[in-house]
Amino acid sequence: MGQKVAIVGAGITKFVRRAQETGKELAWQAAKMALDSCELTLDDIESVSCGTAPDAFDGVHEKGEYLSDGCGGWRKPYMRQFVGGGTGVFAPIHGWLHVASGMFDTCLVVCAEKMSSCHPHPQGAFKTIFDHTTEQPLDPTLVWIFAMEYNRYMTTYGIDKRDIALVSVKNKKNAMDHPAAQLPMEITVDDVLNSEVLAWPVNRLDISPTSDGAAAIVLAGEHAAKRITDKPVWIEGVGWNLDSAYWASRDLAYPRYVEKAARMAYDMAGIREPKKEIEIAEPYDPFTYKELHHMEGLLLADRGEAPQLLVDGVTQRDGARPMCPSGGALGVGNPIAATGLMKTIEIFLQLRGEAGKRQVPGSPRCGLAQAWGDLMQVGTVVVLKR
Amino acid sequence: MGLTERIERNVDLSYFEGRIPVNYLYTYGLGFEKFFRALKEEGKLLASKCPRCGTTYFPCRVFCEQCFCEIEGTLGVSGEGTLYSYSVCHLNMDGSPKKTPEVVGLIEMDGTDGAKFVHLIDAQPEEIQIGMRLKPVLKPKKERNGDIFDIKGFKKA
Ligand SMILES: [Zn+2]
Repeated sequence: MGQKVAIVGAGITKFVRRAQETGKELAWQAAKMALDSCELTLDDIESVSCGTAPDAFDGVHEKGEYLSDGCGGWRKPYMRQFVGGGTGVFAPIHGWLHVASGMFDTCLVVCAEKMSSCHPHPQGAFKTIFDHTTEQPLDPTLVWIFAMEYNRYMTTYGIDKRDIALVSVKNKKNAMDHPAAQLPMEITVDDVLNSEVLAWPVNRLDISPTSDGAAAIVLAGEHAAKRITDKPVWIEGVGWNLDSAYWASRDLAYPRYVEKAARMAYDMAGIREPKKEIEIAEPYDPFTYKELHHMEGLLLADRGEAPQLLVDGVTQRDGARPMCPSGGALGVGNPIAATGLMKTIEIFLQLRGEAGKRQVPGSPRCGLAQAWGDLMQVGTVVVLKR
Repeated sequence: MGLTERIERNVDLSYFEGRIPVNYLYTYGLGFEKFFRALKEEGKLLASKCPRCGTTYFPCRVFCEQCFCEIEGTLGVSGEGTLYSYSVCHLNMDGSPKKTPEVVGLIEMDGTDGAKFVHLIDAQPEEIQIGMRLKPVLKPKKERNGDIFDIKGFKKA
């Protein structure tokens, strides 16, 4: 590759159920914060990458074009990309390609999502992701396909639902220290199990909320990064992978596509023993079981063993391998495309020692963020080091 | 650092309503056309087998996702299978509660290479188990329209 790429600045809006701001206003707020954080202006930015999920959320087609001024994209090389929930980590990968290729020295990456416009709920928009001949007539919701994945994962390894519920307890509590959080709270395992059943085994508190919000980062090539900051965080590995869209026919107990994306990123970053070398991670957690499922796909836990690490406290903020110290999608919120970038920003802050009350002990040097999406079959991974 | 600048405005909002004035007419496609014709007219369920790698797909398709080669023929399968996973759905798409919870499942189809089919399961939630054997329930021929509800659902075999 042409050059090394660092994250040098970041910004994030508060995640809320319904923002007054339009999507492009949210994008502008996050982008401006990211530029201000590293004392740059839009004039210093050579290319812009926008990540945003289905146009149907806003009912605005060509949403990349709609958001483009809020992203600072006008009169610049601007691209929008989208892989569903995987977008928020695909966006830094996309920006990395711009800079690593040597084409640009700086790239502003902006992810914005406004889900609340969809009335009464975005499930109607999600429905059109499914096959229109064989599946849509059954009125599928995203919740029930995840319920089937949850059930298969739990049944395959004989996992207790109480252990899976602990993910929600941990992440919502972690979110109490996050200034952007939508659903920070202190709850118990029983609260999760006693919350409304949406589609068994998924209860209300197993699932992340719908959210409005935006996040942004500034990427810079090796020389530019060192001029901009004395604390660059380097993107050392990137990986992405897409499995069959015949979602039902996949092995639902194990996310093979996440493993493929992780191995691609690990190879690039020279990581041979992820369990030892990845000190901190933000696996994508739109549902409780997904944090565990993804830890296994990321090779940070053996198959079926992630719940035990959680029960033993290993994945708490002060544990040996903290997972979702930000509070994750469950606690901070889940404005689809922005969530993965929020996670990337969390690792950036943790590695810089700037995570405030959320700071994990031990001054970590290497971490990863991961997201997942499309029809449950895309994995996106970035490995960061300081 | 940008993250510390917390933006909290989330006031009581005014809003206006909008809608996208579009409707759709979908074709079945080359593969599903064969599938739904056979289902409607003969009550048969068709799979297809890749001539190169031998993978058997259900419902039938016209190309192999692995070899990328064309699949011309079809073969019938019994429609029976094994329950791979399921969920009991309590809410409608708009978030309102269902009158009776609905069971949806993934059925791993006999005679295929692990192809799974998603459909309604006609059983009480208490009697359902992953691994149970299931068979399809078809509508009588005169009621069949060539859509997915020509199969009413699956029940215990
Ligand atoms: Zn083949």
